[in-house]
Amino acid sequence: MNNFIPKYDFHDFTVHDFTVHDPMTDKRTKNEKIKDASRQLRGGIAEGLDEVATGAIAEDDQYLVRFHGTYLQDDRDVRGERTKKRLEKAYSFMIRVRIPGGVVTPAQWLALDTIASDYANGTLRLTTRQTFQFHGIIKSNMRRTMQAIDAAVLDTIAACGDVNRNVLATSNPHLSKAHAAALDLARDFSAHLLPRTGAYHEIWLDGEKVRDKSAVVSDDVEPIYGRTYLPRKFKAVVAVPPTNDVDIFAHDLGFIAIVEKGVLVGWNVTVGGGMGMTHGERDTFPRTADVLGFCTHEQAVTVGEHVVTVQRDWGNREVRKHARLKYTIETRGLDTFRAELERRCGFKLEAPRPFKFERTGDSLGWSKGTDGTWHLGLFVENGRIKDRSGHTLRTALREIAAIHTGEMICTANQNVIIANVTAAAKKKIDAILSAHGIAIGTSSGLRRNSMACVALPTCALALAESERFLPDLVTALEDVLDRAGLRDDDIVIRMTGCPNGCARPYLAEIGLVGRTPGKYNLYLGAAFDGSRLNKLVAQDVDKTGIIGVLEPALAAYARERHDGERFGDFLVRTDVVKPTTAGNQFHADVRLRPG
Amino acid sequence: MTALLPKTAPFSTDEIDVLNRLVGRANPLQRSWLSGFLAGVDAANGAPTPQSVAPPRAKEQLTILFGSETGNAETLALKARKAAVKQGFDARVLDMADASLEKIAKTRNLIIIVATWGEGDPPQRAAAFMRGLLADNAPRLEGVRFAVLALGDTAYANFCATGRAVDERFAALGATRFADRVELDLDFAKKAAAWTDDTLAAFAPAEPATPSSTVVHVDFKGGALVEDEDEPAFDADKPLTAEINDIVNLNGTGSSAETVHVEFSTDATGWSYVPGDAIGVIAENDPALVDAVLDSVGLTGAPRLSRLLLTDRDITTLTRPVVDAYARLTGRSDAAALATPERFAAYAADRQIVDLFAEHTETLTADQLIGLLRPLPPRLYSVASSAAAHDSETHLLVSAVRWQSHGRKRNGVASSWIAGRKPGDSVKLFVKPNRHFRLPTDSAQPIIMIGAGTGIAPFRAFIAHRAATGSKGKSWLFFGARNYTSDFLYQLEWQDHLASGALSNIDVAFSRDQPEKIYVQDRLAARADALRGWVSDGATIYVCGDEKTMARDVDKALTQILGEQGLDDVRTAGRYLRDVY
Ligand code: SRM
Ligand SMILES: Cc1cc2nc3c(=O)[nH]c(=O)nc-3n(C[C@H](O)[C@H](O)[C@H](O)COP(=O)(O)OP(=O)(O)OC[C@H]3O[C@@H](n4cnc5c(N)ncnc54)[C@H](O)[C@@H]3O)c2cc1C
Ligand SMILES: Cc1cc2nc3c(=O)[nH]c(=O)nc-3n(C[C@H](O)[C@H](O)[C@H](O)COP(=O)(O)O)c2cc1C
Ligand code: SF4
Repeated sequence: MNNFIPKYDFHDFTVHDFTVHDPMTDKRTKNEKIKDASRQLRGGIAEGLDEVATGAIAEDDQYLVRFHGTYLQDDRDVRGERTKKRLEKAYSFMIRVRIPGGVVTPAQWLALDTIASDYANGTLRLTTRQTFQFHGIIKSNMRRTMQAIDAAVLDTIAACGDVNRNVLATSNPHLSKAHAAALDLARDFSAHLLPRTGAYHEIWLDGEKVRDKSAVVSDDVEPIYGRTYLPRKFKAVVAVPPTNDVDIFAHDLGFIAIVEKGVLVGWNVTVGGGMGMTHGERDTFPRTADVLGFCTHEQAVTVGEHVVTVQRDWGNREVRKHARLKYTIETRGLDTFRAELERRCGFKLEAPRPFKFERTGDSLGWSKGTDGTWHLGLFVENGRIKDRSGHTLRTALREIAAIHTGEMICTANQNVIIANVTAAAKKKIDAILSAHGIAIGTSSGLRRNSMACVALPTCALALAESERFLPDLVTALEDVLDRAGLRDDDIVIRMTGCPNGCARPYLAEIGLVGRTPGKYNLYLGAAFDGSRLNKLVAQDVDKTGIIGVLEPALAAYARERHDGERFGDFLVRTDVVKPTTAGNQFHADVRLRPG
Repeated sequence: MTALLPKTAPFSTDEIDVLNRLVGRANPLQRSWLSGFLAGVDAANGAPTPQSVAPPRAKEQLTILFGSETGNAETLALKARKAAVKQGFDARVLDMADASLEKIAKTRNLIIIVATWGEGDPPQRAAAFMRGLLADNAPRLEGVRFAVLALGDTAYANFCATGRAVDERFAALGATRFADRVELDLDFAKKAAAWTDDTLAAFAPAEPATPSSTVVHVDFKGGALVEDEDEPAFDADKPLTAEINDIVNLNGTGSSAETVHVEFSTDATGWSYVPGDAIGVIAENDPALVDAVLDSVGLTGAPRLSRLLLTDRDITTLTRPVVDAYARLTGRSDAAALATPERFAAYAADRQIVDLFAEHTETLTADQLIGLLRPLPPRLYSVASSAAAHDSETHLLVSAVRWQSHGRKRNGVASSWIAGRKPGDSVKLFVKPNRHFRLPTDSAQPIIMIGAGTGIAPFRAFIAHRAATGSKGKSWLFFGARNYTSDFLYQLEWQDHLASGALSNIDVAFSRDQPEKIYVQDRLAARADALRGWVSDGATIYVCGDEKTMARDVDKALTQILGEQGLDDVRTAGRYLRDVY
C-alpha cells in the first residue's frame, strides 16, 4: 500500500449535513442508507468473506465492496445449468486496481501478471480508464489477492464506488514537461481524494482488527466525503492537447493543460461529462463536459476538491439515475455551479484559455521521444491480455517486463505503452514480440481505433455481447473497407453491451450499444477529436443490419470526403445525421433508418 | 472346574448333583474314558438312541470367527452358522473386532473367515486382533482345531494376504489345521458354501461320539456374539431392477471431475436400507470393449457370446491368474514371464485384459476365452439418500472413472456405465448393509463427517435423515474436492441444511483453487481445538472416501489432534467409523 502524504491542506468548510434521518421521511436511495450504516464502508464484508458455504457476500456488502475496488459477479455463460447441478451461481469477484495515469513499473507488471494466473482467470484486462482488472477471483482468494496487490505497492481503494475513481492522464509523461505535470496532477488529485477510512486495511490486509465492531464512525474520518461519500461515482481526467486520448469530455471533471510558449501556465477546468444512460428514458443521456474556466497549477487540486464537495452536497441522493454531476449541472445551471465553486475555493476562475484537440485514441507503434529514448504504443484488442495459440501476448509482455527498465503505461483506450526504451532494448523487444506472433502496426485503421467493453460473461448489466463480438464485426467490416479503399483510415468504432457506455460509445464515429442478445443500436456522427456526441441512426440491428447501414455510408465517405475530413464529420456535413450539439440534445432530431 | 451337567440334563436334580460330585472331581482323561465307555455300552446293547428328548450327548461346539470390511465375510460366517446348526453343532459367530485371543485359545473348533483390504491389510475392525495374533507374546493355540476361508480379489497383488497370514500363524502357534485354507475371489458364494460343508463334515464328531465330544463351554461374555439377520429380500443373485428417475452430473462446466447423482425409483416391497449402507450395482461392460476383446483373440461376436461377455464376465481386470491361464493355454513363454511376481505388478499396473491379448495375439475358442474370464463382480456405492427424506427413492453419487494408458481410452466398468444411463433406464441393485457405519442411535449425539469427493455421499444421507427426523444433534461436515466453483457437491443442499440448522458447521478444502494444495486434513488441523471439544462432547467421527488419497492423511491428522491414545479410545468406543475404498 503506497501510503502517500497528502500534499495539500484540507480547506476549512463544513462537511454537509450529518443529521440523523427519520426513516419515515427519509427519501434517500437504498444505496445512501447502506453507506450511512456502513461504519465507513465496513458493513459485514469481513464476516461475509469467512462464510465458506457460499461464494457470494450479503447484498448490501456487494455494494460496499465496490468502494474497495471489487465487484461480485457470476459467470453468466453457465447460469442455466447451475441449479440442476445443485450449485449456486458461479460467483467470483472482479478486482480493479487504482493506477493514476496508468503508469506501472515492470516489476509491478510482473507481480500483476502472477496474480492473474495464481488467483484470476489467467488474463489481465486493460480498461478504458488506464488500469487493470482481474476477473474470476473466488471469495476464498480475495484477501490473498488484495495482499498480493498491496505487496506490489498498488491498491484498489476507490477504484469503484461513489467516490473519485482512478484519475486519468494523457499517456506517457516522457513526451513533454506538460505530460509529466499531467501525471503528477493525476496522482496528487487521486491521493488527495482517497477515502480515509481504515476499512480497506482492516478487511483485506490486517485481517483480525476488523472484528472490532466498535470502529469509530466519527464524521471527521472523511473530511472531504463525509459519512455518505458521494451521491454517485465521480471521474476525473487530465489531458494534454493536442491529444484527447482520455476523452476529456466524457468525465465529471477534467483538466486541460494550457501550454504557452512551451511552458505549462495552468489548466482549463471541465465539468459535467458522462456517458451513462438508460434505453427508453429520455431524461437520461450522455453529456459532453462544459469548459468551466481556467486555474493555475497550484489551484488545480483545490478546484477539483470543491467540484467534488459541491457535487457531494448538491448531487441528487434520492434518484440514483440522476445523481451524476452532469445532471446536477443540467438542473442547477453552469453559472450557479461556478459561483458556488468559487465561493468554496475562495478565488475566482479565469476565463478559459484557447486549446485545440486533434484526435482521441492512442498513437501506436514506435516513436522517438525528444530525449532520444523510444516508446512503443502496443494495440491490445479490447484490452484483453491473454495467450492464444499463435498470439501469446501475455507471455510476450511478461518477457518484456522482465528486461524492461522504463515504465509500462496503461492507456485510456485499453492499450499499453512500453515507455522509455533504449535503442538496445528496442531490438530485444521487437524480437520478443515477433517470437510471440505479435505484429506492430498491421491492424486496420478501424481495428486500431476500436474499443469494446467487457460485457458477457462477467458483467451483470450486459444486454448483449461486446468484447467477444466486436473483433468479428470489425473483421467483417474490413472487407467493406477494403472495397472502399479505407483500410488504413483512422475511424473510431466502439461497442458496449448496454447503454452504460463503458467504452464511451457515444463519442465514437461508429457507436454500437447492446439492446438484446445479437441486437444493437447504431450511433453515427461523433467528432474524431471527442468533442461531439453521435446520434442514433438504427435500432435493434444485428450484424448484417449493421453492415447494411455502414457499407453505403463508408462507400460514400470514400468517394465524397474532402481531404482530411473525418468519417463522423462527413456524415454530419452530408446530413446523414444531425449533429448532437449538447448532451440534452442527444435524443433530439433522430432519424431512424431501417436496419 | 464348575458343574458340568446343566440343570436341563435328562436326570432328576439329586441325580445331577451325584453325577456332578463324581464327574466334577474326575480329570479330563477319566471323563472322556467314561463318556467313551457309556457310549460303547449303549452301542453294544443296541439301545435305540432316544429321539425327541433332549440330546443324548452334548453338542459339538463350533466358533466361527470373521474379519470383514464390507460384510462378505460376515455374511458367509452367518451362513456357515446356519449350516453348522443344521448339522447339530453348537455354533456361534464372533467378529474379530470383539474377539480376544485368550478366549480363542480355549476354543476347540474354529472356522475363520477373513477378508483382505487396503494393500494386503486386514479389515479395519480386525486390525487389533491381527496385531495381537502376530505379536511375539501371542498365546499358544495348542488344542485349537481350525480352518481358514480367505476372501479376496485377484485384482490385488496381495491376494487373500490376511487369510494366508492367519492360517500360517495359527499353525505356527500350535493349532491344528483341520481343513485346507481356501482363497476365494469375488465370485466366492458357491465355492464358499461347498468349502463350509466339507469343513463342517471334518469337524463333525465320528459316530460313536469320540472323546472329543466333551462339553467344553467357553464363556464368551464380553465378546458380543453376532446375531443372525433374516435373509435380505434382494442380493447379488436376486437383485432389484430399479428405474432411474433422474441422473445429473453435479460438476459444473469446466470441472476436471464427472460425478453423477443418480436417483432410482425403489418402491419395491422388501427394499430397505439405512444411511451408511452401500448399494450393490450390477453393471455391464462397454460393448465396444467386448468387440475389441473378441477381436483380439480372433473371435467374431456371436450374439450369445457377446451378450455373455457384456453382462456376465470381467473383461477388464488383468489378474495374475488370467495371465497365468492365458500363458498356459497358448503356451507362450513371453506371457508366462509376465505372471512372475517381479514383473506382474509393473505390467498390470495400467493394462487390462485386452492389452494382454492384443500384445500376445493368439486365437482362442469361445470356451477357452470364457474359461479365462471370471464373473463380472458387482460394484458398491454408498447410499446418498435417506428413506425418511427421499421416501421411495434410492440415490447414489458415482464418480466416473476414466483414464488413458497405452494409447487406449479406459473407462471404469460400472461408474462409466452408470454415468451413461438416462432417466427411464433400469439398473440391477441390491442393498449391502453396513452395520458399522451408522448414525448414533441417540440422535442428540454430535457427529463429525469427513469426506472428499464421493465420500460425501453417506453424509448427504445422514444429514437428510437428521433433517427429516428433526433430530437435535450437532453436526460438522468437512468436505474436500478440487475447485470450489465447479466441484462443491450438493452445495445448495448444504446451504439449506445450514439455514435450517440440520447442519451446524461446514469446512471445505479445495485443493486446486490456489497455488498451494489444501486438503481436508489441513482444515481439520486448523480446527483442532474445536474438534477436541466436540469429541469430548461425545461426537462420533465418520470418514468416507478414497483410502489412499484421503483416509490415511485424515487418520494422521486425527492422531495429531487427539493423540494416539485419544483416537484409540474413540475407536474402541465405536465413535471413529470409516467407510473407505
Ligand atoms: C472495465 C470497464 C469497461 C472496459 O471494458 O474497460 C467497465 C466495466 C464496468 N462498468 Fe463501466 N467500465 C469502465 C469504464 C466506464 C466508462 C468510461 C470512462 O469512465 O471513461 C463509463 C462511462 C463514463 C461515465 O461514467 O459516465 C462507464 C460507465 C458505467 C456505468 C454507467 C454510469 C452512469 O452514470 O450511468 C455503469 C453502471 C453504474 O454505474 O450503475 C458501469 C458499470 C460497470 C460494471 C462494473 C458493471 C456493474 O456495475 O456491475 C462493469 C464491469 C464489467 C466487468 O465484468 O469487468 N460503468 N464505465 C471500464 C473500467 C474503467 C476503470 O478502470 O475504472
Ligand atoms: C464400500 C464401498 C463404497 C463405495 N462407494 C462409492 C461411492 O459412493 N461412489 C463412488 O463413485 N464409488 C464408490 N466406491 C467405489 C466403487 O465401488 C468402484 O470401485 C468405482 O466406481 C470403480 O469401479 P468401476 O467399475 O467404474 O471401475 P473398474 O472397472 O473397477 O476400474 C477401476 C480400476 O481401474 C484401475 N484404474 C483406475 N484409474 C486408473 C488410472 N488412472 N490409471 C491406471 N489404472 C486405473 C484401477 O485398477 C481401479 O481399481 C465404493 C467402494 C466400496 C468398496
Ligand atoms: C479398497 C479395497 C481394497 C482391497 N484390497 C484387497 C487386497 O489387497 N487383497 C485382496 O485379496 N482383496 C482385496 N480386496 C477385495 C476384498 O477382500 C473383497 O472385496 C472381499 O470380498 C471383501 O470382503 P468383506 O466384505 O468381508 O470385507 C479389496 C477390496 C477393496 C474395496
Ligand atoms: S457497458 Fe454495460 S455491458 Fe459493457 S461493461 Fe459497462 S455495464 Fe457492462
